[in-house]
Amino acid sequence: MTFAAIKGRFLATATLAVALAGGLPGALAPSAMAAPVAAPIASVEPEQSDVAQLTPPKTSWFFINGGFTSNSSVIYDTVSGKLIGHVETPQLTDLALDPAGKFYYVSSTLWTKGLRGTRQDYVSVFDSVDLKLQADIAMPGRLLVGGRMNNFVVSPDGKFGYVYNMSPASSVNVIDLTARKFVKTVELPGCASLVPVPGVGLSALCSDGSLATLSLAGGKSQITRSDPFFSATDDPIFDNFEVDRGHNQIVMLSYTGKVYTATLGTKPVIAAPFSLQEAAGVPAGSAAPNQVNWYPGGVQQMALHRATGQVYILMHMGEFWSHKAGASEVWQLDLASHKVVKRMAVPGEPRMIAVTQEAAPHLVFAGEDETVYVYDLATGKQAWKLDHAGNGVITVAQPQ
Amino acid sequence: MIHFDADSLGEKVLRRFAGGTSRRGILARLGTALVAAPLFPVLPVSRANAAPAKPDRGPEAKTTFARGAQVTDNTKCDYWRYCAIDGALCTCCGGGVHTCPAGAEPSPVSWVGTCVNPEDGKSYLIAYRDCCGKSYCNKCNCDNADRETQIYVPQLNNDIIWCFGTQSMEYHCSTAVLVGAA
Repeated sequence: MTFAAIKGRFLATATLAVALAGGLPGALAPSAMAAPVAAPIASVEPEQSDVAQLTPPKTSWFFINGGFTSNSSVIYDTVSGKLIGHVETPQLTDLALDPAGKFYYVSSTLWTKGLRGTRQDYVSVFDSVDLKLQADIAMPGRLLVGGRMNNFVVSPDGKFGYVYNMSPASSVNVIDLTARKFVKTVELPGCASLVPVPGVGLSALCSDGSLATLSLAGGKSQITRSDPFFSATDDPIFDNFEVDRGHNQIVMLSYTGKVYTATLGTKPVIAAPFSLQEAAGVPAGSAAPNQVNWYPGGVQQMALHRATGQVYILMHMGEFWSHKAGASEVWQLDLASHKVVKRMAVPGEPRMIAVTQEAAPHLVFAGEDETVYVYDLATGKQAWKLDHAGNGVITVAQPQ
Repeated sequence: MIHFDADSLGEKVLRRFAGGTSRRGILARLGTALVAAPLFPVLPVSRANAAPAKPDRGPEAKTTFARGAQVTDNTKCDYWRYCAIDGALCTCCGGGVHTCPAGAEPSPVSWVGTCVNPEDGKSYLIAYRDCCGKSYCNKCNCDNADRETQIYVPQLNNDIIWCFGTQSMEYHCSTAVLVGAA
């Protein structure tokens, strides 16, 4: 229906309503006898449909993927508790934010006939203000897996995107986000979970317990590996590690609760690990059977507040191999002093956690029932409880 | 400490699979996916595990899952073979413990688990083959994680959609195929 048609129909209806009111004086008589103070009438001017616009992402926002069967990531503001909008993230896609805040990037896979037909892999580019599609950048493939933060990452300068692929041989698709073109696929055997390394390329965790560095400078790719520093099968490092751009390092956590940091570069420097449990004054976690202790767990197990070096970790009581269990507490680890400075009991058995990068940060966590809790870290109190919000990966915006 | 030999597990699964399938049929059907799959045994994990200790599978080494596992109802998450399964059980979706529901296609490659059978106390190698090509069944969803690792050891990760080499990579449900004694 056209706007003119709607307008004409509205006028006809309004005229009819006025005519009816005028023809029924008896029905209006009682109110006419009461005090003639009419309630303020909301605007009755004819309206046009319009479309909301957003600001670029704020540090108080978080984006929560709806989960395995969902097709969108919902944006919430932790200060107001309001839903801001939805970014389209079809099933098993990965969301990444443009560091400059201008675009949202979604690494996606869809088939031409819904569940069948020709497979299509591409990075979609959405404008962050009107959320309109800017481009789809086709690429050769990507790994289909849920709940990962480091399978689609963007370089800090915003120029390149790196998409992890497994066919099932491991490789990385390099995407030029400025030219909006797929550049090349680089093999990355035995490694996964990516972090961009400025001026070099990227690094990734490997099944031999090393950190590989893939040099992409000068158009030639070359892989170097650190000495092995963890066991990928006996005490694996969660592949959802956190990145601290300010210190150019990554913070990693193993199943038993060992905390590792690695300073990135051509030759990454990996610091000696320490026990998260011992940092809290309890016995260190063990990979041995029948040892009940506090263990880290979940899907997105930890969150780093970069400006203060505080790490928030989902913890539960259990035994080794309970690494996917939901949490009963969140432990706040001070990275500099290697001390757990606070333990908070939390509801909802969360498996996902994030922290906003505001000066007064909010903790955001979600369990399987899709209830999202937002805590004000200044008070340690619940600020918002958001029902049916999602249970997938939680992404936060970084300060500009 | 339990030491887990991922490489020999992967090899065992692939050998069992190769022994029961015609090579020409595989190549025609799977193309690059299956050609790439045998690369797993030469991944760097083989070097890291060059001299593995014998896995300790005694009763004292049983995991929380193994101590509570049952053998009678394969539509429940605590059925013994499901010690590392993640997803919808095909037994609840019109299929069986090693049977894909009608219209779905089993993935020829898979992630693997080692589960203890409560009836004889022994460990068995289980191939968790996804059934593919239909939309997510979303019934009897389980997420068990005995000896499950991260995606840099893909053959021991249960989050990955394992529908490689099938006509469609759409995930429907998961089966737990008994491969043999671990």
